[in-house]
Amino acid sequence: MLTIIQNTFREALAKKIFIGYYIFYAIVILIMIFLVNMDSVEGVMSLADSKMLVHQVETGFLTISWNLIIFFSLISTASFIPSMLEKGTIDLLISKPISRPMILISKYLGAVLFVFLSMVFLMGSIWLILSLKSGYWDPTFLLSILWLTLAFAVMYSIVVIIGLTTQSTVVAILVNFFLIFVLCPLLSVREAVIFSLVTNETVKFVFDFLYYLFPKPGEFRDITTSLINGEQINMWKSSVNAETSTFTISWLSPISSVLFLLVTMAYSVYYFAKKDY
Amino acid sequence: MHVIETQNLYKEYTQKFSKQKVNALNDFTFNVEQGEIFGLLGPNGAGKTTLIKILLAITFPTNGSAKLFGTDVKNHKAKTKVGYLPENHKFPSYLTGEQVLKYYGQLSGMSAGTDMNKRIDEMLGMMNLTQWRNTKIKKYSKGMMQKLGLAQSMLSDPDLIFLDEPTDGVDPIGRKEIRDILAQIKSRGKTIFLNSHLLSEVEMICDRVAILNKGDLIKEGNVDDLTKAENIFAIHTVDTLTMDVKQKVLAIDGNAGIGEKEINTEAGIDKLNGIIDSLRSNGVKIQTVNQKTSTLEELFINVIKKDNTN
Ligand SMILES: Nc1ncnc2c1ncn2[C@@H]1O[C@H](COP(=O)(O)OP(=O)(O)OP(=O)(O)O)[C@@H](O)[C@H]1O
Ligand SMILES: [Mg+2]
Repeated sequence: MLTIIQNTFREALAKKIFIGYYIFYAIVILIMIFLVNMDSVEGVMSLADSKMLVHQVETGFLTISWNLIIFFSLISTASFIPSMLEKGTIDLLISKPISRPMILISKYLGAVLFVFLSMVFLMGSIWLILSLKSGYWDPTFLLSILWLTLAFAVMYSIVVIIGLTTQSTVVAILVNFFLIFVLCPLLSVREAVIFSLVTNETVKFVFDFLYYLFPKPGEFRDITTSLINGEQINMWKSSVNAETSTFTISWLSPISSVLFLLVTMAYSVYYFAKKDY
Repeated sequence: MHVIETQNLYKEYTQKFSKQKVNALNDFTFNVEQGEIFGLLGPNGAGKTTLIKILLAITFPTNGSAKLFGTDVKNHKAKTKVGYLPENHKFPSYLTGEQVLKYYGQLSGMSAGTDMNKRIDEMLGMMNLTQWRNTKIKKYSKGMMQKLGLAQSMLSDPDLIFLDEPTDGVDPIGRKEIRDILAQIKSRGKTIFLNSHLLSEVEMICDRVAILNKGDLIKEGNVDDLTKAENIFAIHTVDTLTMDVKQKVLAIDGNAGIGEKEINTEAGIDKLNGIIDSLRSNGVKIQTVNQKTSTLEELFINVIKKDNTN
């Protein structure tokens, strides 16, 4: 198992896209250094001010980059499954005394661990920059490492299942793109946008159903920013306060997303264990 | 206990779009014993690769069962002492030769350390790949890849090795080396299962062969028996044979075919020599003695032809 995970790392590091991945991160980090410089030259701030500023920068950064980071991570790891399934590779892998579920799970964990470490690198750097510049050290921002990894893990289960069934990296990426940038944002605002346009109960039900069915990487971000800003999080249902027009996120989305992950991976393992290669 | 044991294996592939069915294996039952080099022969598409894949649980049979070392192949533990060289194998191209061996060695259950490194050195040396060990395998030639694949299949010192077209793309010298290596492995009591088209090669190294055609097992037996079955010797003499000499020859081999200056016998080496002694003691001069052995290739072509016309 460790061997497969280790090799997945090697594969990730050997790929050209990996270089792009880290260049992207390096640019993000450089931009942060630049921006934060401008903020802190304004003079000596009180601790409370700098705390607020840091929180604002962190929230702003996560809001802008969250989906992009997840999508980049998916792109850089999407080919693992199809390349593992190539003729001449998969035969040899299965001929080893390792059970098929173990092969697939190791591959999956390898990708997740790879992204986790990348997140440690990216978010850790940004956190370090912000803390050094502001003098305000608050580790809650580092929670984004875990939440990003979890959001990736959920979306990657989709890559796995599509990779297994179609053996196509491109299809897996396209589906994820659609989910992250089109469907999920749309479903998240369904109450505000779609339901104000349509009154049909069945349509509403379908959208609600889809909303609860699909994972919601974007809402992981809302959870993270709420945690950073010390806001309240509802247990089951997100709510909107009409007066202050503040949105309160609930734990429901991570819970349902993790369920989605488990179901998807269970099916993938089942499918992989039964298939002829 | 048999090393390989199969019971009525059937494999039917259904083409995805045409719904057409291909019978890749038809009621295939056979065993392989410890220490044998077993060769599986057959034309393209006969089902050879399919059989190996079923034995390694890469593909599942439609019906029937298979065991390795007495363990059902559905249990991945059956593959603990097994090595495999797939046809057209593909290693991760970003690894070097040495890393490939390390990776697959560990997957086979070897633990990283000096023992494995020693074994890797040994295998690379055996395959003449030592100078390429730190080169990315992207840059390997076909024959080098094949040798690396072989090294991989033998690395963990398995008791059973499946080789699908092992000498594919390897030059004659390399092929000879591979044959020697296989013989050496066999001498250590290991079992080898080999798929090949190169019949002369199979004839040189295999103890037993099976011939597969369109999923049917059409002939199986020891290589010696299969090729000896048609052992015919022909003796040509300088002098015309007298009645007296002909009688003496018939006394040795009653079934001998006798012509004016020719004797054909299928009675084996001892009787052949008896006939020769008798001819010489009667002052008959011999011109040539020819052995008509059918090669495995002749046998193969005959058998396949016969099967296809049926
Ligand atoms: N995945 C598959 N799907 C459908 N049919 C297949 C599949 N794999 C093999 N076949 C069919 O099964 C039959 C046997 O194929 P197999 O690869 O076992 O032949 P082979 O004896 O190894 O041939 P070769 O000497 O060319 O390697 C062929 O008719 C082939 O078309
Ligand atoms: Mg084949």
